[in-house]
Amino acid sequence: MPTTKALTGAAPWVQLETTQKDWDAADPRLLGDMLARMHVIRAFEEMALQLAGEGLVHGPAHSSIGQEGGAVGSMVALRADDQINGSHRGHHQFLAKSLGYLRKDGLDPVKPFGDDVRTLLFRALAEIMGLAPGFCNGRGGSMHLRWADAGVLGTNAIVGGGVPLAAGAAWAHKHSNTDAVAVTYFGDGAVNIGSVLETMNLASAWKLPLLFFIENNLYAVSTTVAEATGEPRLSGRGLGFGIPSWRVDGMDPLAVSLATQQALAVARKGGGPAVIEAEVYRYFHQNGSLPGSAFGYRTKEEEAHWRSRDPIERVGKAMVARGLLKPADIEALRQRSVDVMQSIAGDLTESAGEKKRVIRKELWPSTQFRDVGLRGDLSELDSLHEESPRTADVKIESRKFVDAIADLIGRRMELDPRIVVLGEDIHRLKGGTNGATRGLSARFPDRILGTPISENAFLGLGGGMAADGRFRPIVEFMYPDFLWVAADQVFNQVGKMRHMFGGDTAVPLVLRTKVAIGTGYGSQHSMDPAGIFATAPGWRIAAPSNPADYIGLMNAALACNDPVLMLEHVDLYQTSGEVRTDDMDYIIPPGKANLVREGSRATVLTYLSMVRRSMEAAEKLDADVDIVDLRWLDRASIDWDTIETSVRKTNNVLIVEQGSLGTSYGGWLADEIQRRLFDYLDAPVTRVTGGEASPSISKILERAAIAGTEEVEVALKEILR
Amino acid sequence: MIVMPILAAGMEDGTLTKWRVKPGDTVRVGDVIAEVETEKAMVEMEAVTAGVIEELLIPDGTAGVKVNTPIARMQGDAPSGSAPRPQPAAAAPSNDKVSGERAKDVPVSSIAVAVAASPAAGGGLRGRIFASPVARRMARAAKIDLHSVVGTGPGGRITKRDIESFSPGAAVADHGVSSSPTVVASGDAVQALSALGIAPGTYDLVPLDGMRKAIARRMTESFRDVPHFPLTIHVEVDDLLQLRTQVNASLEKQGVKVSVNDMLIKAVAVALMHVPAANASYTTGGLALHHHADISFAVALESGLITPIVRSADTKSLSTIARETKELAQRARDKRLTPDQFQGGTFSVSNLGMFGISSFASILNAPQGCIMSVGAVEQRVVVKDGKPAVASMMTLTLTCDHRVVDGAIGARFLVELRELIAAPATMLV
Repeated sequence: MPTTKALTGAAPWVQLETTQKDWDAADPRLLGDMLARMHVIRAFEEMALQLAGEGLVHGPAHSSIGQEGGAVGSMVALRADDQINGSHRGHHQFLAKSLGYLRKDGLDPVKPFGDDVRTLLFRALAEIMGLAPGFCNGRGGSMHLRWADAGVLGTNAIVGGGVPLAAGAAWAHKHSNTDAVAVTYFGDGAVNIGSVLETMNLASAWKLPLLFFIENNLYAVSTTVAEATGEPRLSGRGLGFGIPSWRVDGMDPLAVSLATQQALAVARKGGGPAVIEAEVYRYFHQNGSLPGSAFGYRTKEEEAHWRSRDPIERVGKAMVARGLLKPADIEALRQRSVDVMQSIAGDLTESAGEKKRVIRKELWPSTQFRDVGLRGDLSELDSLHEESPRTADVKIESRKFVDAIADLIGRRMELDPRIVVLGEDIHRLKGGTNGATRGLSARFPDRILGTPISENAFLGLGGGMAADGRFRPIVEFMYPDFLWVAADQVFNQVGKMRHMFGGDTAVPLVLRTKVAIGTGYGSQHSMDPAGIFATAPGWRIAAPSNPADYIGLMNAALACNDPVLMLEHVDLYQTSGEVRTDDMDYIIPPGKANLVREGSRATVLTYLSMVRRSMEAAEKLDADVDIVDLRWLDRASIDWDTIETSVRKTNNVLIVEQGSLGTSYGGWLADEIQRRLFDYLDAPVTRVTGGEASPSISKILERAAIAGTEEVEVALKEILR
Repeated sequence: MIVMPILAAGMEDGTLTKWRVKPGDTVRVGDVIAEVETEKAMVEMEAVTAGVIEELLIPDGTAGVKVNTPIARMQGDAPSGSAPRPQPAAAAPSNDKVSGERAKDVPVSSIAVAVAASPAAGGGLRGRIFASPVARRMARAAKIDLHSVVGTGPGGRITKRDIESFSPGAAVADHGVSSSPTVVASGDAVQALSALGIAPGTYDLVPLDGMRKAIARRMTESFRDVPHFPLTIHVEVDDLLQLRTQVNASLEKQGVKVSVNDMLIKAVAVALMHVPAANASYTTGGLALHHHADISFAVALESGLITPIVRSADTKSLSTIARETKELAQRARDKRLTPDQFQGGTFSVSNLGMFGISSFASILNAPQGCIMSVGAVEQRVVVKDGKPAVASMMTLTLTCDHRVVDGAIGARFLVELRELIAAPATMLV
């Protein structure tokens, strides 16, 4: 008969409740600040719903009415240099932090708000309506509100999607010798999603000053918490990760504030993350101005009960009871809040006949603005130099590809303390699974970060770090296929961030990954991700075929303010090439392909390991062809000058890549070529790719599933027939 | 709507001699769509708008068509009131159909070749030219009519190479007479010769131009795929030569000179009218018995050969035939033949007599059922009335497609022809 022994979590999990004593002892300024912020937020949300009802808000307007106590209660405890990010229901989060930024000593409940507060409210409402004066120039709308100066990193429409990004900000705080923290707000629905749980684990492992603030409003749209999880006390999630956790009544803003202060005390001292779960209630449905009961998933009685616990009334009554304010002061605060919002709505709209108003035309963004700022302008590369000609006196040595990678990353880290490397096992095994970070862990122990196996969390953390700007991360995915594991962070977050938040947020992140086709790792480790990344605007893609190009491309990627996918290939790691020993700092900027063979009858466009394969095939056939090593693959960085010059000469195009047809790269390129160069083509654009399915583990099947020198030969023969 | 145009000052009406298009054809601006005869000239009428011919409102050979009279309807024009005729392609197949429209219904690949386009070659309907974008661009720049270019790309597509090899000047320069002799056309070819002990460098390798490739392909296909046999007959041509002398004397003032070949074209055409079974093509849908004797005659070019056509030669006078062959041969040498001038003949005549060749058997010019090879006129000793005599003789060899022309048919045709040649005046009446 086995015996059992009760175990307890390593971290405390508590329910915090206030007493009358706490209320009596509360700082009047804190109470006034909370009351004023909540009134402003409520009036703001009422106006947002009113405009939505008039059809003036395109898309959803997720109101926070009823939930103000959680965000405001926690944010009165934050400093201006703390950062937050939030969820799709984020107006109140955005405003609570922004008001705290504008009024570092608290928003006064009896004084006029001031022009800066009015401007904040104007720009926030304009953003929600999709208008040019908005914080993100009208691109973000209700769900993507960002004001970096105020410490609002951005609200997020993907449930749980912002949480890994906040970890990046927290990492930056921790490693910048500040005691500032990051707080990430998300709802009960997000508690069960991988990003959140992965990030809790990572933040705990690395002791990041990150507060996970759960606004548990009991419903994920119409699904109740009890339906969605076996442990509806959501703060219990923290225990599994060793994170101290607080449960608190979100309708009691003072309780929220006190819990936050306790959590902050731990975090600011380097004690790591905390979880705070505030039970709140949205009075209305998921979006719009109807109550949830109208949709049948809850009762009017339940709603009436929660409304009777309204956080604004609670704070107001407490202040009146202590004689801090008179009822008339509160009425006046309410009236000022309503008035300022009506005035702002008047500025954003104009009358269009009786009882109807429309958005002022001049406030709409220009359609010309559609793609502006999707990527940076690369001016950050202006001060860097390209490789000088290899004259007789330059110093050159033969270097193995993988060693050139480690050499270069080491040099960049030495010269630029902002560079940090994250990835699985990169700190062990003599430089990760392939040796690309060999020796770096010993030299830079704090900046070579071996991660848990949670790509979504650590890529997102890198994204948050990059957007923060104090550090420039290199993230390694051990295999490209893991991009699907981390797809939300790779594409929805990192790829879209700059554009979505208005077009001027730099995201200097380099994602390194190695194409491992041919190593027998089978269906789930054998993709070339170039084709997928090429469909994701925002990402640049570099694909070096030799060590010297790696140096130039990686230097450009690390200097670039856009996210760059740096492709490597296992076939190349052990190959050698001549590299400069007198200059390791040159760049190969976007738009710089390399014509590696000259001919007249066809243009072969290729990259990475297939450059060598194509060269072999052409040499074998003595083929009269141009071979272009593309180097930069994405739509914005590809070298059209070189491609067009070649195709105008040869009139024939062969695009060569190794991987599967399904996710292949060349499709978009063929499409672009036929539109740009139709009148110069003598034949349809031809492509060499692998088979349709992802390669199998069986050696014979794997070879059959990918393209090699022989497949290039066949294609060349056909073209040159 | 296409109307009778004013083709000359003061023109009031004209004769619509011949349509060059049929309903369903796609025409582009500048395409010749019809021949119109005015008081003074035969004019090729060009399309002024692009589109698809819906209906021909005026039949071939209509005289006195007033200017501005609608003569054809384009797709998208209002209906003409007359009941629409069924489209040839959509009509149910019948013998009439096969025999009557055979020549025009052959899917022509818009390929100018020495031999008529075979149904299998090329892609698509008459009028649609398959050419790569850069080939179109180059042709436009060089003012080359794509109709006269041979497509050697996939599916008969005209490619850059075809345009480059089209220019006669360029072709000559490339043909090994230049001082840089060895052009490595392809590794395969060189290897094939090497394997046979012919080392590279011991010969000049002339790249294959479009015409050469077309000849190679079409001749190979014809020789391989068509069961053929030769029939040979010797004919006495003294009377023919005498008639030629008389005719040429009478035509001298007009500057026309009739050749033996012109007379043979006429004779062949008339003989075909007498033996229509020899004026035929084999198709899987049936034997196409042609209504007209459209005689293709071989013209040697510097880098190949081509077979322009004397249409309905049976109906034409010797002087007309002489004029036409002279002009067509010149156009052939200038590479100015239009597709209808070399596509769609029903019977071929090939003559090597001028080289002194006594007799030879040509390879069939598919889909034609016969080709006649003409040898040199020679003084030979012949037996006449049991005694040796000297006569001007010529050997004619008829190569027949046995699928359509059996031995007896070929023989009857040759006998008919011999009688016409022996009494040539009969073919003038």
